[in-house]
Amino acid sequence: MTRPDAGSGPSADGPFDDVDFGLLDDIQEMYQAADPMPADLPDRLRFFLSLRDLEIEVARIADEELSAAGVRGAEQSRTITFDSESLTVMIRIDANADGTVRVDGWLAPPQRREVEMKTTVDALSISSDEQGRFAFTRVPRGLAQLIVRPAEQGQDEGGPSVVTPALIL
Amino acid sequence: MIAVDDRRPAPVLANQPDPAARAARIAALVSAVRQGSDEALGQIVTEFSPLLWHVARAAGLSPSDAEDVLQTVWMRLLEHLDEIRTPTALAGWLVITTRREAWRVRAAERKQIPADQESFAELPDQGPGSEEQVMIDDQRRTLWMAIRQLSPRCQELLRIVAFVPRPDYAAIAAELGMQTGSIGPTRGRCLAKLRALLAGGLEGNA
Repeated sequence: MTRPDAGSGPSADGPFDDVDFGLLDDIQEMYQAADPMPADLPDRLRFFLSLRDLEIEVARIADEELSAAGVRGAEQSRTITFDSESLTVMIRIDANADGTVRVDGWLAPPQRREVEMKTTVDALSISSDEQGRFAFTRVPRGLAQLIVRPAEQGQDEGGPSVVTPALIL
Repeated sequence: MIAVDDRRPAPVLANQPDPAARAARIAALVSAVRQGSDEALGQIVTEFSPLLWHVARAAGLSPSDAEDVLQTVWMRLLEHLDEIRTPTALAGWLVITTRREAWRVRAAERKQIPADQESFAELPDQGPGSEEQVMIDDQRRTLWMAIRQLSPRCQELLRIVAFVPRPDYAAIAAELGMQTGSIGPTRGRCLAKLRALLAGGLEGNA
């Protein structure tokens, strides 16, 4: 009945059997162990896709540093600079006592813009002042992303919207 | 319980817990995405990205290129959502699009990363583990040694197929140019060869 393939092993034309399924499971486990997808990739992809309708300029991380806040040992303040073609965005992230973080930011060149902080929970929106300064006092930890839009809807004097890569706060 | 317009026979997929329910769920997600649901899109992204990661990596892309390709593929899905007519077509479309995009990126970069650069042989050696761990590592190493004796195409196909949910085998096998028999996908040369290698010992069989 069975027609061995070249004298050894099962025929290539046969349907899958339990041994095949077991083997495929083993292969899956092997690659899963050797080269897993980064665990946060689906979240980052979701973030990226949620921005799909915007006319955007994508900023890149130009610099990132940690500085010890001294007094409270473990707590550090983190400063990140993003560059896009039209805008530089610098943010400083400090831990709040309640487990959230505070984000202070500056836009260069200084300008009044609408700044949105998108998190996995919701989106916070504020305006920067004439000096380009803005602050989110309480942001949940986790993935977050900044979007800098024109100061008023439909007015593009301030240049295109700028979006930063997703960060983990 | 649930009516599904899936006329494909499912005898091959005996081990899968309820393919019909899965098909209905995916169909519902796809139609929700059509109506603009980010939540449904997120669920699909979460469910299929691991498969697509392995498709892209199997095509020889670096991790960061693989991430870029996944981004492109998901954007493209949104543009081509109308072409996805059945739930099983989704996996096939995603796999093929990922594979094509991966080839395009590779050709553009001419940055070929040989498959065996992923030095798997080193991975399981994480110092003394539990007895069970040691046994698993041994099995994995044996499997890896056998897989490495297959052609690059077989290695790629098996890595992809291993991550495909069973109900989608048929659609994907056809898309990948694997033979299908009258009742569904067949074992194929690659799996038959792998089984022969594992059964016959690894030496002198390449």
